[in-house]
Amino acid sequence: MNRRYITRRVLYGIPLILGVTFVSFLLMVYFGPDKTYELLGKNPTTEQISEVRRALGYDRAFLLRYGDYLRELVTLDLGLSDSSGEPVSVILKRTLPVSIALVLPGFILGNLMGLALGLLAAWYRGKWLDKLVMSASVVGMSVSFLVIIIGLQILLCTPYGLNLFPVRGWQVHDLGSYLYYVTVPTLALVLVTLGYNTRFYRAVMVEEIERDHIRTAQAYGASPRELLFRHVLKNSLIPVLTRIMFSVPFVVISGSLLLESYFGIPGIGLVTFNAITSGDQPILKAVVGLTGVLFVLALTVNDMLYSLVDPRVAKP
Amino acid sequence: MSTPALAVHDLSVRFKTGADSRHAVDGISFSIDAGEATALVGESGCGKTITALAILGLLPDSGVHVESSAIEINGRDISGLTGSRRREVLGRDIAMIFQNPGTALDPVFTLGRQISAVYARHCGGGKEHIRQKVIESLEAVGFSQPQDIAAAYPHQLSGGMRQLAMIAMATVCKPAVIIADEPTTSLDNSTRAVILQQLERLRTLHQTAILLVSHDLATVRQSCQKVMVMYCGRLLEKTDCESLFSHARHPYSAGLLSCIPQISDTRPAMINSIPGQVPAAGEFPPGCHFAPRCPRVESMCNQSVPALDTDKQQAVACFRPL
Amino acid sequence: MTGTTWQRLKSDPLGVGGLCVVVLFALVALCVWSGLLGQGWSEVSGERWENASSDHWFGTNLLGQDILQRTLFGTATAFEVGLIVTACSTILGTLMGALAGWYSHSWLDELVLWLKGVLDSIPFYLFAAAVAFALQGNPWAMHLAMIVTFWTTTARIIRGEVMRIKEREFIEAARAIGLPGLVTVFRHVLPNTFHILLVQGSIVFVAAINTEVILSFLGLGIQDGVSWGLMLAESSQEVLAGHFGNFAAAGGSLFLLLMGFNLLADALQDALDTRRAIR
Repeated sequence: MNRRYITRRVLYGIPLILGVTFVSFLLMVYFGPDKTYELLGKNPTTEQISEVRRALGYDRAFLLRYGDYLRELVTLDLGLSDSSGEPVSVILKRTLPVSIALVLPGFILGNLMGLALGLLAAWYRGKWLDKLVMSASVVGMSVSFLVIIIGLQILLCTPYGLNLFPVRGWQVHDLGSYLYYVTVPTLALVLVTLGYNTRFYRAVMVEEIERDHIRTAQAYGASPRELLFRHVLKNSLIPVLTRIMFSVPFVVISGSLLLESYFGIPGIGLVTFNAITSGDQPILKAVVGLTGVLFVLALTVNDMLYSLVDPRVAKP
Repeated sequence: MSTPALAVHDLSVRFKTGADSRHAVDGISFSIDAGEATALVGESGCGKTITALAILGLLPDSGVHVESSAIEINGRDISGLTGSRRREVLGRDIAMIFQNPGTALDPVFTLGRQISAVYARHCGGGKEHIRQKVIESLEAVGFSQPQDIAAAYPHQLSGGMRQLAMIAMATVCKPAVIIADEPTTSLDNSTRAVILQQLERLRTLHQTAILLVSHDLATVRQSCQKVMVMYCGRLLEKTDCESLFSHARHPYSAGLLSCIPQISDTRPAMINSIPGQVPAAGEFPPGCHFAPRCPRVESMCNQSVPALDTDKQQAVACFRPL
Repeated sequence: MTGTTWQRLKSDPLGVGGLCVVVLFALVALCVWSGLLGQGWSEVSGERWENASSDHWFGTNLLGQDILQRTLFGTATAFEVGLIVTACSTILGTLMGALAGWYSHSWLDELVLWLKGVLDSIPFYLFAAAVAFALQGNPWAMHLAMIVTFWTTTARIIRGEVMRIKEREFIEAARAIGLPGLVTVFRHVLPNTFHILLVQGSIVFVAAINTEVILSFLGLGIQDGVSWGLMLAESSQEVLAGHFGNFAAAGGSLFLLLMGFNLLADALQDALDTRRAIR
């Protein structure tokens, strides 16, 4: 991999990171609610007011406050939660592993199944199997995440259905209990992403299958397995990787937000949900800022992966 | 008489569109002897490439109907083969060189890997043996640094070098037949000469039969012994190169010949061209397909189809040959 | 939209089915707006959690409100959210995309691309939460959050199309006779992208309705009135006790409308042949 290419990608990420943090600063800190009067007693004096405002940093210049916010994000010194008084970084450190454990199986399964179905539909494009898969994916795309969650809960977790899994909660201490609590959220995540994934992967695969070099490989006796798993798959790695990298923040944050608040799972999503409902600014600004930064970093890493996958990128 | 390297008997290709089907290739037969180069010429859209793909069995299986009584390579009929039986033949007994070397090779694998995959598939052998064969075949097409070429990705080479590598891939298993579909069309003149030279050399060296699909008669004259003129899915004239260029019998062949730009021409191709256009498949006229554009047309030509008089040395399908 | 497009759309049974479903729901929404349907959505008209009956087709909710009435009213809410968000984000996206495409590779283009990159980098629900946080309970916070994030895809597509059309002859001709750049964009380039906007618009519509549901569940959505999202949020408390009225009515309607729009968008895409641009 060549160094100039990497440097260029990293430099490209900087304005994005500044932008993301600036937007969250603007929304959460600058235009966010003024906490002065919450902290003061009744009928405060002017001195008390200005003292509290100074303590909260409200009297500092706009850019300095933005600088403070950036410093908080970089040092991970994110202040104390308004509701629990615990340091935000401690809360994040405790809840992040739970969220990852919750969404990882569904994320991986959703992509693998989407990839497999997309490949299948693309290979048999125009045939009945393709039509079946594509119709099913339109149906899948038309069901709301919330409907899927509630529906699965009725079917699998209540006496009105199979009653196999817990209605809510997360008492995980070994593999058995992990599977017991993770199954329904995983199924929900797979169902909600599968339709979109299948459609996307099919489009990518069809484009690759119709390329000239696939016909060349065919003309030299390559078997369908070789065609699909060597030539098509390796050539489509870039759009596939991009898709996966792009959807990481969506699935981890948005998925865990809904799944955890619904099933009462103590991950980062539930913390965020509670922060939204109670207006816990230190937590919200940390979560928004950090995910934005992580997303940009993921994109940069993604661009670097390109050059490993495709020899045409990163040409010196 | 020895068995021809490639013999095609009564090959037809029909495209199905809704209820009706259209002939893209209409009952053609020909054979090519070992070590012989035969050209298939005609304007674009007359069914040349489809013929080539049909011989290899590479046309899509839905919407296309391919029929033939036999397609033989060294006497062995391959027309009925499917699945792995057909894949065994492709690249080992018959190989194809494609028109556009820019897109015909997989961009994410090195040339060495692509060629060795072909050799390993058909001929097998140890890793070192395969590597040796790949290097040999790259050397045989004229690369002085075959190791470097084997380690290169397609985008790192020029169009001409890519096409040479493609020829190396086609010859690595020393197939009996090579079909070259417009192998030089996308290349500049000097590269074109190199490619044709290498093909010629390998043909004489390995006694390969070559079917050269081309619309460029100058190329054909330079590198082929025999020539077949195709129009709207039918063969109109089949003869050796010398006879065609000295005396074309079919009016269409004569028309094509008059289109070859001469060095002395200041505005090539504009001076002579056959009037009218190749009709789209499905809009072929009854009778001789060339009749609407033919200067020698008479009433009979519009009614019945002239057959190719294969018993003659210079076969022609025309009621009023020149 | 030309005659042939309409012909092609008509010959696609799934597309026609989707169109019918969408039109049916749109009619319901119109009737609600004009006061003919769903006006009793907030009245207490029965006991709590009544079962389905001829009086209450889907039963009643916790407060004894008729679920059918609420579902009908929710249709209007869905269309209100969908139409406002689609219209605003399409206009915004078209403007931004046209500017960026016409002045491609200038600082303006870079600015639009940067803005798009930034907005795409913040997970949407968090962004909506942040907007709601900044606006402190403003009922339009949800709409605003959607508009501000949904324009980016439209802008990307329009930018690409404008850059492509810009090279074509009739635009060159317009330039040659001295029409200023932006006038040319709006007079000649944008009409040529109308079909793409139509398809992209229906995709945004689906996204808006879908998002409303999630945001309403999270407490960031519709503030007054009722929506399918609020009904589903309500149902999440009820299904464990065996009351499925809210879930069936809101979930079913939501599915039908989304399915209708998805089928319509697919058929439009095929009829207008815009796959390349949208993807």
